[in-house]
This record gives sequence, C-alpha cells and structure tokens, in this order.
Amino acid sequence: MIEIEGIGRRFNTRDGGSFEALKDVSFSVKDKEFFSIIGPSGCGKTTLLKMVAGLVKPTAGRIDIDGQTVIGPGEDRAMVFQQFVLLPWADILTNVGFGLELRGMSRKESREAAKPYLEQVGLTRFAEHYPHELSGGMQQRVGLARALAVGPDILLMDEPFGALDAQTRQLMQEDLMRLWEVEQTTVIFVTHSMDEAAYLSDRVLVMDTHPGRVREILDVPLPRPREESTRRSPVFNELTSHMWHELRGMMGDPTLPAPE
Amino acid sequence: MRSMSAKNRNRVLSIIGLAVGLAIWEVIGRLELSPAFPPVTAVIGAITEVWTSARFLDALRESLISIAIALPPSLIFGIGVGLLVGRYRPVEWALDPLINTFLSLPLVALIPVLFLIFGLGRGSILATIVIYTFFIVVVNTAAGVRTTDPQIVEMATSFGAGEQQVMRRVVLPSALPLMYAGVRIATGRAIRAVIIAEQVIGLIGLGGLVQRLGGAFAVEQLYAVILFIGLFGLVSMEAVTAVERRALPWVIAPEDTEPAFQGA
Repeated sequence: MIEIEGIGRRFNTRDGGSFEALKDVSFSVKDKEFFSIIGPSGCGKTTLLKMVAGLVKPTAGRIDIDGQTVIGPGEDRAMVFQQFVLLPWADILTNVGFGLELRGMSRKESREAAKPYLEQVGLTRFAEHYPHELSGGMQQRVGLARALAVGPDILLMDEPFGALDAQTRQLMQEDLMRLWEVEQTTVIFVTHSMDEAAYLSDRVLVMDTHPGRVREILDVPLPRPREESTRRSPVFNELTSHMWHELRGMMGDPTLPAPE
Repeated sequence: MRSMSAKNRNRVLSIIGLAVGLAIWEVIGRLELSPAFPPVTAVIGAITEVWTSARFLDALRESLISIAIALPPSLIFGIGVGLLVGRYRPVEWALDPLINTFLSLPLVALIPVLFLIFGLGRGSILATIVIYTFFIVVVNTAAGVRTTDPQIVEMATSFGAGEQQVMRRVVLPSALPLMYAGVRIATGRAIRAVIIAEQVIGLIGLGGLVQRLGGAFAVEQLYAVILFIGLFGLVSMEAVTAVERRALPWVIAPEDTEPAFQGA
C-alpha cells in the first residue's frame, strides 16, 4: 500500500520568488493495483512519480510505503523512463542487469540473472547488441526488463511509451498488460494518453494544474484480461470521453465552459 | 560499403598530395637555392645510414625513457584530477584559473624556470613533459565528465546507486571518448616536449641530436632525424586511436547511427 499524504512541492524561481508545482496531493494505491496518473503538461505528475521513487523530496506532506516513509530510492521500487535511458556503452544484456549490478551483483552474475527478463520481453537474440542498434520500442523493452529484473514490488513508469509511434505504443501496452498479469507488481503509470490510461489501469487519477492537485480518481470497471476489443467497448469510450472533457476544460479550451 | 570507397578515394588523394609535396621539395633541392634544402633523394639516402647509427639509437632510447617515465603518471593524475574538476563544482572553481593559465601560457617560456629548479638533466626533461601533457588531459577529462547525461545519473540513482557507483559506472564511461582524445593529444605533446627540452640541454636524446646535427650543418642527417620524429608522432597517435576504437565500440560515426533493426 502506497499512501500519499498532503504532498506539496515548491520550487524557487530565479527572480527570488517561488512556484508551487504540487499542492495538497493525497491518495493511496493498493497492492498489485495498476494506477495511472493523467494530467496536462506541467501538472507535476512526473515530479509526483519521482517523489515516490525517492528522487525528489516533497516540501510538504509525506509518502508511506507499507507504513515506511520514503526518504530515498529503495529496493522495493524500480523506474521505467520516457527516454529509455539505457547505457550507450553497454550491450543489451548488461543494460538489463544494470540495476542488479548497482545492487551488488558482479557484472557476470547480473548478466546471467538478466537473461530470463530479456527473454520475457522477447529480445534474447539482441543480448550482445548495443542500444543504438535497436528501435525505440525495443529500447523501451530493455528499459522495462531492467526494471523487472530487480524484482520490484512497485513499478514506476514515467510516460514510458510517450516517445514511441502509435502502433508501437499499442503493441507495448498489450505486452505490458501481459507482463503485469504475470509479474503481479503494483504499477504507478504516468501518461498523458487517455486511451492508454483507460486501457491499462484499475484506477486513474486525473490531475489539475497550476498548482498540480488531485481533480478526481476514476475507477475503470473494465474486465481483465484486457483485450483488443476492450478499446471498442462502451465503458472504455465513456471513460476516455469523460477524461477528455476534464482535461480540455483544464487546458482552457474556449469552446467549452470551464468545468465546475 | 559506400564509406569504404570514399575512404579509398581519400587515401589516394593523400598519397597524391604527399607525392606532389616531395616532388616540389626535390626540385627546390636540385636548384641548390639554399643549403637548408637538400634534395629529398639525398635525405632519403641519409635515412638508412642515420636511423641505424649507434648515435641515433642511443638518442632515441634516451628520449623514449624520458617519455616512458613522465607520460604515464602525468596521464593518470591528469585523468584523476579531470574527473574531480568535471564532477565537483568547488574543485572546478579552485583549479580552473591555474589550469587555464597553464593552457594559455606558451610553455616554452617556462622551460628556463624548470631548468633553474631541476638542473640540466633528466629532471627538467621530465618536468617539461608533465607540464605539456598534464593540463590538457585534465581539461579533456573534465569536458568528458560534463557530457554525462544527467538522465543516466538519475536512472542509476533510482536503482540505488551511491556517488561512488555513479562515478564509476556512469561518469567514467561517459567521459571516456573525450578522455581518450586528451590522451591522444597528450601523446603528441609529450614527443614535442621531450625534443624541446633536450634541445635546450643539447647533449642527450633526439632533441640533442637535432641540435648537434644543426650545429654541424649536417643538413641531410638533420632532416632524417626530423622525419623520424614526425613519423614517430604520427604512429604514436595512430596507436592511441587504435586502442580507443577497440575500447569504445559504442562511439560510432554519424552515418552508422540508424537503428540496424526496425520494429518494436
């Protein structure tokens, strides 16, 4: 259980003032839940995710994981990044094992332990290639395998498919669903794609902006396993159009009355 | 494959350029315009005689010993200091003025000072090599450190890496390409430094030999030694490049950057 309680974050600006990125954000994520955070650019959703990762410190409130307050990165969490962030100087297998290597394994052990995860994402035959030789989708599979390899309880995904083209993106979503059903981890998934949030999640947090705060938390009453046909169901469409309405209001579209 | 043919064409152009240069040299030499320009054929004739003479080989050994003693520690300390300068702001602020001063000074001006300190012997030669190589390695390593992708540092941190691990697993490999460039430049500069310092002493090493041959107006022999020094510099730097290519397989030419495998 992840409990986020009254989180706020202020940044100092150059002119000596301060800017409030997040204000009084509270929610909790259940174990093994797939929880998405959606919101317009600049709503602080990535900052929030980095706080759960222990990379950014909140200036107000706190985050507890199973009763323990987060004070930094921990072995229970692993992150997947929007820009993949692979080591360009290391081959794919070493990249997948990198998290394990940082947690104390030797290069040889980590490469060995990484093999089944590389297999899981279907890239075994690229073990000895370098990242620049792989397409974006393949690179992100490596990023995902690297995170899964450390056996995290919580997977933190920061717009992981945001840098991919639409078809690749859809394939990756389906693969992620398949992997998640096997791995049974808690996922916090940041995205700005409404389809993606609806298709993947158990619940979706819609964030408001300036300052970033909770607008609403939506339940996704779609049966699992999710399939291709899920995307055409009435519930799916209702959800995405609701999200669209909310987000559009926030983005100040003049053709719509502001919500509330 | 297409880059191969371009490479061959460039090689042919290099050879033509060299041949034309040598031909012009030969013509000027034959015209006997100046004793400083003997015909190139005469110089080539002197090469075999000079390059196998005991005097030359002794001088070469002396120069190589000086480089072998001074260059490796200079490179190692330069890399170490460069890593600190590039990574830690206070170290950068503390050392930047000193480093920049040494880089902009004409180092030849410092050689008399070194001779005052270390005397007319090997000590001064070693010190000259160090001031010619140390700072350039520091600056290149520090520049390499600054190319580190902060996203990779953040990624490593998210997996629990501490500062030492970040330094070893992220910063150091990121800095390698520019670090190697620094080593390559330093290798060339070490050869220059040893010759210059030896010329000042005038007795030992290849620099000393150049000085003595010049003084004796043995122009053909002088050119034979100069040619050797040039070739030696070229080969040394090529050797560093070859090591670099093997050590850094991910540093790729821009034309090779397209992904070789498409699809998700």
